[in-house]
Amino acid sequence: MIPGIGTLTQDTLWCFSQVKGTIEIGVTEADIISTVEFNHTGELLATGDKGGRVVIFQREQESKNQVHRRGEYNVYSTFQSHEPEFDYLKSLEIEEKINKIRWLPQQNAAYFLLSTNDKTVKLWKVSERDKRPEGYNLKDEEGRLRDPATITTLRVPVLRPMDLMVEATPRRVFANAHTYHINSISVNSDYETYMSADDLRINLWNFEITNQSFNIVDIKPANMEELTEVITAAEFHPHHCNSFVYSSSKGTIRLCDMRASALCDRHSKFFEEPEDPSNRSFFSEIISSISDVKFSHSGRYIMTRDYLTVKVWDLNMENRPIETYQVHDYLRSKLCSLYENDCIFDKFECVWNGSDSVIMTGSYNNFFRMFDRNTKRDVTLEASRENSKPRAILKPRKVCVGGKRRKDEISVDSLDFSKKILHTAWHPSENIIAVAATNNLYIFQDKVN
Amino acid sequence: MFQDLVTANLAAKGTMVGGLKRKHSDLEEEEEVEKWDWGPAGLRSYQQALLRISLDKVQRSLGPRAPSLRRHVLIHNTLQQLQAALCLAPAPTLPPEPLFLGEEDFSLSATIGSILRELETSMDETEPPQNPVAPPGPQNEVLPQPDPVFLEALSSRYLGDSGLDDFFLDIDTSAVEKEPALAPPEPPHNLFCAPGSWEWNELDHIMEIILGS
Repeated sequence: MIPGIGTLTQDTLWCFSQVKGTIEIGVTEADIISTVEFNHTGELLATGDKGGRVVIFQREQESKNQVHRRGEYNVYSTFQSHEPEFDYLKSLEIEEKINKIRWLPQQNAAYFLLSTNDKTVKLWKVSERDKRPEGYNLKDEEGRLRDPATITTLRVPVLRPMDLMVEATPRRVFANAHTYHINSISVNSDYETYMSADDLRINLWNFEITNQSFNIVDIKPANMEELTEVITAAEFHPHHCNSFVYSSSKGTIRLCDMRASALCDRHSKFFEEPEDPSNRSFFSEIISSISDVKFSHSGRYIMTRDYLTVKVWDLNMENRPIETYQVHDYLRSKLCSLYENDCIFDKFECVWNGSDSVIMTGSYNNFFRMFDRNTKRDVTLEASRENSKPRAILKPRKVCVGGKRRKDEISVDSLDFSKKILHTAWHPSENIIAVAATNNLYIFQDKVN
Repeated sequence: MFQDLVTANLAAKGTMVGGLKRKHSDLEEEEEVEKWDWGPAGLRSYQQALLRISLDKVQRSLGPRAPSLRRHVLIHNTLQQLQAALCLAPAPTLPPEPLFLGEEDFSLSATIGSILRELETSMDETEPPQNPVAPPGPQNEVLPQPDPVFLEALSSRYLGDSGLDDFFLDIDTSAVEKEPALAPPEPPHNLFCAPGSWEWNELDHIMEIILGS
């Protein structure tokens, strides 16, 4: 076991590192964070929000003077990725909310990421400029054109240093390919293609081509009245560029092989756990709907999140998951209330740590949960301003389900269901996590001894 | 939210309850659940309350933004389960192909499909069939003519107009007017029910939801 790569032993203590965002009581809806993603090295951390903005944080170089404090994340670039649109044909608003951000692996000095709203995917290039050319012949210092008749000598423009500027430019816009709402994007391991998935279809794109895409999955029935199932998430296999998975609102996962046929309507593997008859209710289907699916870094496992649990599946076993973790089972008796107030439709994401030994997902009351797959230990932590002193160790939280409530416990009925942790991210190689709590982004690190 | 179910439970026990207004209340204390009567009447009221909540959600899903298809499908599937559990008549075969409105017509046709099914089946509920009748097939479809009208009315609302006032005015009531007073009308064809009956209250409430009042 490599020290520093996440394991959740009893020695792992999580500390507050930073929080980004305002502490105002009233939350501006546009500031609500809707996606969080580290890049492949962990140097950059991107967030997208409901207002269509992307904010990228960069980790500062570790200081020799402060060895106990690992590099902090500071704002590197902010740009407006998507704007609200109006579909005049159907008289419908198209939200600018960023549903997902996915980074491309870095191949040169610039950084590339994909960001998407409900309808349009964009490829952004983020690059630094620290020099500018000076001494143009045909333009003056303000950029105005000179009258060629006044030019008597020629000179070679020179590059002079300038203050660092980070520019974000849209390099590709992939539009008009989705009738329904895009829920996922995933970059293929070939780094030449990516897929975008909406409720009923999945399209395959080449990064260079914006005016066409291949439809690889289509579950739209001939008669929309017969629709009973939608696609909820999709992801490419991390190493096999021909394989991908997609999950459904009925709690199933399909693994598809693009080599088998052009339209992957027939799955290679079908993952579904038989229903537990003792737990059956009117809400069984809703709570089985998978809100997120993620391959492990190794590519051997997939993890799925439904309303009450996180499950780990072995790709070689289709009939049931190999591990099931209860996120907040105390909500099982509250499903009717949660149906009425719509919380039952909340879509929580889930993430693996770098070594695939620990998984993390969010809950309500700004709680988030971690499960160690090896030791079977789990912990509940809270993202709150009260625990926001620098390097303050996070205290494990506990929900009291009945009977006598202990001093530090919180009862189920006191949980704040408006404070939901839907989006989290784990640094690819270190124990650094980013947790989005409405309009605030918390960064936690494990305690460096 | 349990306030809603408690209200429904009281109604089931015969207690007079004025207009069953929906409330978006916070989660209630756990004690409320323990007062709940889980006998057959209580269970039925629970299911009916869920039905009301579900219908309200379907109605609220129409708006300036395209509704979430996932949410809509999940609610629709839940509605079908509730229908089955309430032992209602099997849902009639689907209304004829609605007006083509483009890809987004799914929400209208499916919404209407479910609203129509609930309207029909809720009225069907406690009427003992006097004459054995075959389950209505496509030819006996209760509202084939008003169907496009429903669509147009809802679509105009969907597109931002408030044309819902005309919603029920265009219903073809000729079949009802011709019904002889003596023979009990076939429930699916009768748009009227006795005021004060359970069906009346149910229909009244459903219409409130649909008209958004």
